[in-house]
Amino acid sequence: MGELIEFNTSMIKINSLNKSFGRIKALNNLNLEIEKGELLGIIGPNGAGKTTAIRIICCILQPDSGDVTVDGYSIYRDQIKIKSMIGYLPEEPNLYERFTARNLLRYFGELYGVPKNEINSRIDELLELVDMGHRADDRINTFSKGLRQRIGIIRALIHDPKVLIFDEPTMGLDPATSLVIRSFIKGLKGDKTVILCTHYMDEADMLCDRVAILNQGKIHDIGTPKHLKETIHGDIILQIRVNGPKKIDENIIMAFKSVKAVDIDDDEYHISLHSRDHISDILDVFGSRAISVNTKEPTLEDVFIQTIK
Amino acid sequence: MSFATITRWEFTSTLKSRKFLLIFFMQLSVLGLMIIMFNSFAANIESEKGIFLTPSLTDFATVDVQDPGGLIQKRINPELIKIYPSNNNNSIIRLKQGETTGLYIVSADSLERIRKSESIDTLLYLDYSDPKRSVVRDEINSTNNAVASALTNSYLQSVNPKNTSQTGFKEEKSGEPLPMQIIKKMMLAVLLFLPLFLFGNMVIDSVVGEKERKTGEILIAMPITSFEILFGKGLAVVFTIAIQVAMWMIILLVVGFAMKNPIQVYLMIVLTSLPVVGITTIIAAYAKNYKEAGIGITFAYILMVGFLIVPALAYISRQSSAANISPMTTVMRLFSGETIPLQDIFWPIIIILLGTAATFWIATLIFQRDDILFGPRPGIINLSLQLLGIKKR
Repeated sequence: MGELIEFNTSMIKINSLNKSFGRIKALNNLNLEIEKGELLGIIGPNGAGKTTAIRIICCILQPDSGDVTVDGYSIYRDQIKIKSMIGYLPEEPNLYERFTARNLLRYFGELYGVPKNEINSRIDELLELVDMGHRADDRINTFSKGLRQRIGIIRALIHDPKVLIFDEPTMGLDPATSLVIRSFIKGLKGDKTVILCTHYMDEADMLCDRVAILNQGKIHDIGTPKHLKETIHGDIILQIRVNGPKKIDENIIMAFKSVKAVDIDDDEYHISLHSRDHISDILDVFGSRAISVNTKEPTLEDVFIQTIK
Repeated sequence: MSFATITRWEFTSTLKSRKFLLIFFMQLSVLGLMIIMFNSFAANIESEKGIFLTPSLTDFATVDVQDPGGLIQKRINPELIKIYPSNNNNSIIRLKQGETTGLYIVSADSLERIRKSESIDTLLYLDYSDPKRSVVRDEINSTNNAVASALTNSYLQSVNPKNTSQTGFKEEKSGEPLPMQIIKKMMLAVLLFLPLFLFGNMVIDSVVGEKERKTGEILIAMPITSFEILFGKGLAVVFTIAIQVAMWMIILLVVGFAMKNPIQVYLMIVLTSLPVVGITTIIAAYAKNYKEAGIGITFAYILMVGFLIVPALAYISRQSSAANISPMTTVMRLFSGETIPLQDIFWPIIIILLGTAATFWIATLIFQRDDILFGPRPGIINLSLQLLGIKKR
């Protein structure tokens, strides 16, 4: 497991969490600890258990076994308390179409128990924050997907929660809107504890303090994006395209100390290296068979693909 | 008190909805049409010719008739009542043995007395243990009325049976014919209770709609209990029903329906809407989509209407005290101006309150299960066994 970064205390603790849907095991002894003020990214393939995990934290689903505590409160005993501490943006943040943006926020504000004398100013402040003050009295059904997502995000913030959980907040949005939302989430760092489930590795890389790779209901790796990229799966990938790859002995390449792994994809070699020390020696092995050579820093996507293989 | 927030928002949002207003006024139009239809139906019943309510009941009841002059006997509807010419002593024995439902005696000199412009005596004996007595009584009464209308008052001043009560029999001196009682009381009761069954779609839209529009997940993530969500939504529908019932009652009073104790009648109907909405909420909590919910409420509403109407009909025909379990019976007795003993009001109210608590409790148990919303959803039998604690989840 990866390095720990300095935070004050733990905000969310997940202990041995299990959840099945019929025969499908969505979570398999999941353990995770999220610190106060941390922005944790959860990445994983479809069906990895990301949404199930966050639904359990939000007290929407009940686990088969295991426990979750949020700020010391248990999901079994203090559901209302936990729900009032969390702002949740689900994967499909379908909103009440017939409401105006202001009324929708007021409705949820009242349900969260926001004092009536504060609610209007809070709504105005949040709408301005996502640059939607001018659309406050328009109905939700007149909004584009991006605008709805902005409303969905500030709806989750209406009661100024300690914990924010975003499930795929930029899914299906255009790059400009995604950028606005990412900047907004980045602005929450430190003040709130944030869990961000995403399929976009660059998003996790850019925003998260730590990233957990979830697959088949378990955490496979967790750490800072840098840590995951550097210490677990090497720091450089050498891509060499060749004529007749089978004529080159893979063991000769693996014999170099800096080589960590070799993958062959048709006529292309992907060689993971710890350092650049033996690049010229490796190229000598390929000799004139090498058609093109490229070096690439590993991305979180590479880490993800390696991990879930 | 978060349910109050949900109720307020749901209710105001309903009133602002154009679709709802359209439905609301269409329902009022239906009521208008029903009143017109009812009035024309009642007019036909009360006319001399009348309309035959029981076409399939040939020889439904038997009556021994002693009418030497044939004044009345000829006019009794033979399709409904089988007539036996009477020998008085023999007929009394037949009546005692339950072989005939009634004995009707018209004075032997009836024709002679009509000529002299004198009133004639008629006597009607009924077997009071026989439920068909009402049909006989109604038919004899309507025949008498028809004869009376056919003759001028100078020939027949009144049909005035004497008090001839005997052990086991009872003479029916006067009274509204049964079909008219059924029509007047039942029609009015049905009209009053109808709004309770017109707003099932609102409950469905409010609960199943959250699932279909996928807004339910956000609502469940709110710091409120499942009971508060369902009860809040249900109460909003009850308020809407209350408005509709009030409007219907005003219309019915304006067009001339006799209705005593209107406030008590109103409160009883609105109170009855609580378990009706509760049962609809159970169906909505379980249903995956509108189609399923629609099928569910069709069956449930048939059963509920049966529960309301059957005891009320039993009360009209037999005055049975067990019929008071139905709030419709209480409402009928209230608008008829009857003095109702406290225990007769106590039971329907207890049933309503217990029904409301039970239905919302069951709906909450279903709604708070994550497998209902996120699957795999258990079948109805499995779910029932699990709720009863017979089977483990």
